[in-house]
This record gives sequence, structure tokens and C-alpha cells, in this order.
Amino acid sequence: MNKQIALRCLSILSFVGIWWAGSLLSPPEILPGPVAVGKTIVSNFTTAGPEDKTAEFHIAITLARILFTFSIAMVLGVALGLLMGLRRKVELAFGYLIPIALTIPTLLAVFLCVMWFGYSEAGGLFAVIMTVTPFVTVNMLAGTKALDKDLLDMARAFKADRRLIIRKVLIWQLMPYIFSAFRYAFGMTWKIVALAETFGLKYGIGYMFSFWFEQFNMVQVLAWIMLFVALMLILEHGVIARVEERVFAWRPVHAL
Amino acid sequence: MSSQAVVIEGLSKMFPSPNGLGQFAVIESLSLEIARGNFASIVGPSGCGKSTLLNIIAGIEPHDAGQVRIAPQDGTGSSARIGYVFQSPRLLNWLTVEDNVKFALEAQNIERGCWDERVKKYLDMVGLAGQERNFPLKLSGGMQQRVAIARAFAIEPDILLMDEPFSHLDEITARKMRVDLMHILERARPTILFVTHSLREAVYLSEEVYMMSVKPARIFKHLRVEIPRPREPEDPRLFDLEKSLVKEFFAVLEQDHR
Repeated sequence: MNKQIALRCLSILSFVGIWWAGSLLSPPEILPGPVAVGKTIVSNFTTAGPEDKTAEFHIAITLARILFTFSIAMVLGVALGLLMGLRRKVELAFGYLIPIALTIPTLLAVFLCVMWFGYSEAGGLFAVIMTVTPFVTVNMLAGTKALDKDLLDMARAFKADRRLIIRKVLIWQLMPYIFSAFRYAFGMTWKIVALAETFGLKYGIGYMFSFWFEQFNMVQVLAWIMLFVALMLILEHGVIARVEERVFAWRPVHAL
Repeated sequence: MSSQAVVIEGLSKMFPSPNGLGQFAVIESLSLEIARGNFASIVGPSGCGKSTLLNIIAGIEPHDAGQVRIAPQDGTGSSARIGYVFQSPRLLNWLTVEDNVKFALEAQNIERGCWDERVKKYLDMVGLAGQERNFPLKLSGGMQQRVAIARAFAIEPDILLMDEPFSHLDEITARKMRVDLMHILERARPTILFVTHSLREAVYLSEEVYMMSVKPARIFKHLRVEIPRPREPEDPRLFDLEKSLVKEFFAVLEQDHR
């Protein structure tokens, strides 16, 4: 276990090492080194930047947007996927809409929403929900197709009612699919939120990318990117992975 | 009626033909009765519709004609309790061993107050004391099947259906499980309908044996095994009985083929 952690640290160290070596070979306005970027990140927290806001403010805005759109997309997607999987008529009615929705390029969805809603909060958030929901739906639909009929027969033979079947038989079989949808949707959400912030929304980490991009300030662009990546990695591996470990305690380790 | 736990009359079940045209009978006007507290086996070759019969009795598969009546032990009009042990354990792997048993208790609306006592009693009985908090996937196949047996016994069923419960286990484990089941039956005596393709298993365990032929499934012989229980697996009387029944079986099967 400790070996694994050491190896992971090594991969991060070698990344920083290559970055540092590259920065020595190129002018600072093209590739500033890790130290310069690190100092910029710290100073972004301590001194107010454009719009008179510090980094915490932008982080909070971005996280709030992610949380809001992600929750709505998860609830909608899970509900729609379950309905489609368990009710044949719903699947027939919505079946074709899903591949259509999945085909629309994410970038275009963001542009579309900007055209529909203008540079407003609603437009950006709508774009995220619109692109993430179908992915969750597809995952849940796949989950319902993989339900074990033998277990359902067992539950019915023991005369379990619908509520008990849902609580103790269905939900748990769907859990791996819910989690893979969860991870995937989360990854998509933060990418699209960043995109929407870059193109249209005011404030947020993505907004800061585009602000510094227009100034062609490479140190700041990299500082915000690194901050963003670090935050998302902590959320994915620190929070989601922990929850997952708890929920899947019943599975033998080699199955994970 | 009151002394009978299960009465099946003229039961028929049709399946669509493999070629898609019309139907064929899997089970045709099958009748049988099992007295309360009896251990009855149905022996027949694979694919003769034994599992289908159990599923119909359990109410998870519809039938086309005939009647299945199960009398609750308390003689009231309430619906009968049916326990089921399948070929594979069919446990809820995300629930602990004790929660798997409680699942059946909850499904059967058994009062919460007696859950702990029932769980303890029946897990002890199948030899799983101490495994309550373990998850099924951490147990061996034989132990998982013991959980399934405890789950079915724990609801104290009016009829306990067992569908080749030992056929997925290796022979040594299966043999141990049969002997243990024999001992369990000294302590709990539900009415049991046990389905198997093994005559040896049937004559060793049961008081009554129904022999079934294939396509459509019908019963061509019913006999009582008059050897007092508990029995020894090596009892020569069992071997003799098995031998004579095997002969009869092949005679009927050959007849069916003509």
C-alpha cells in the first residue's frame, strides 16, 4: 500500500521535474516554471485580482456551479434512465432522443446556449445540464438491462413487496452503474463548467482563464489551470473514491 | 384437506414450441398431495419441468390449467408461507448473512420483535453461528447455500421448496450438506417438496418419492420410503431401493422414446 502511494508521488514529482526542465529551456512568457506558478497561486489567494476578488471567491463560484448542475443532471439522468429501463413505453418514447443528445458536441451546446440565453448564468448552467444528463441516463439504462432476474424471482418467491425489492434488491444492483455515472458525470460537469465560464459566465475559475488569456499572461493562466486540476483531483480521489469504498465494502477486493 | 399441506390437481403448463409454431405441454395434468410435515421428493431427468413446477407452486410463474392449494399451518385464511431454496444460493451479496435472513422475514411481514431470535436459531441450525456479520461473497459455495437454507427455514414455511439445492456443490460438500439436512429435520419439520435428478439423494432424504417422466412431465410412480430417519447414507436398504427404482426409471424412459 505504501509502495503504491510512493509510486504515485513519484509520477507527480516527475511531472513537475519535466515541467521545470522545460521552463529552463523556454522564455518565461511561454512556459514559466513551477516555482513562479506556485508563487502566483499563493498571491492570488492573498491579494485581490481583477474585479477586486481573491481566488477563494472564484473557487466558491465554480464549485457552486458544479454542485448545482451536477446534482440536477444526476437526479434527472437517474430518474429518466430508471423509467426507461423499467418501463418499456418510456424507453420507446425517449429511446431515439438519447443518441441525438449524445451526438451534439459539447462545445456547440455551450455556444447554442449562449445564443439562446445570452451571456447569462442560466444559459451556462443549462448547457451543462443538457450535455451531462444524457450520459447519466445511458448508464442507468445499461444498469437496468443488467439486473439479475434470478434475484428478482427469489424476492418474489418470498413475497417481497415492491418497496422492499427496490430498497434491498434493485438499488444495490444498480449501485455500480450509479457510481460510474457519478464519476463520469462529475468529470464532464467540471470540464463543461470551466468551458462555460471561459466563454460566457462571469466569475469563476474558467472566467479567470479567459481573463488572463486575453492579457496573454502565461503565469496566471497556468496558475489557474493548476489550481483547478488540483481541486478536481482532490474531489475525485479524495471524496468520491472514499464514498465508493464504503458502499462497496461487500465486494471482495479483487473484484474492484 | 387439513392434513394436506399441498394439493395439486390437474396442473398443466404450456411453453411455446422452439420452432415458434404453437405450443407444447411441459407439464400435463399433474396431480400430487403432500401431507403436513412430510418430506416428498420429485425425481426426474433434467429438463422434465421440475423447476417449472416449483416456480408455479411459488407463484412466480403462471400455469395454464389446474389448481395449486397450499394450506397455512394455522388453518386460518391467511396466505401460505412458502420457503424456497434454489440451485444457486441467490443471496443478496450486499447484505450481511443475517440481513439476508432478515430480508425473507421482512418480505413475509414477520414481526420485527422475533427477527433476532429467528436469525440466531436458524443460522445456528445450519452451522453458521458466528458468521452473522460476514458478507456472502466471503463465504464458500457450501456456506452460501447454508445461508439460503437458513433463510428459507427462518420464515417457518407451510411448504419448503428445494430445487436441486446441492447440485452445484462438489460431491464431498453436497454429501455433508445432505447429512446435516437430515439432522436439521430432527429439530424443524416443515413440509418439504424436494426436487432432484438423483434417486440416491431422493431415497436417502425423503419419506415419499414421486417419479417423473419427461415431456410432458407426468408422475408415473409414487412410493413411500419406509426406513426410519435419521438414516445412514450407506444404509444397504437405500442402495437396494435405489437400484430397483433406477431399473424402473429406464424402463419408462425407453417406453417414452418409442
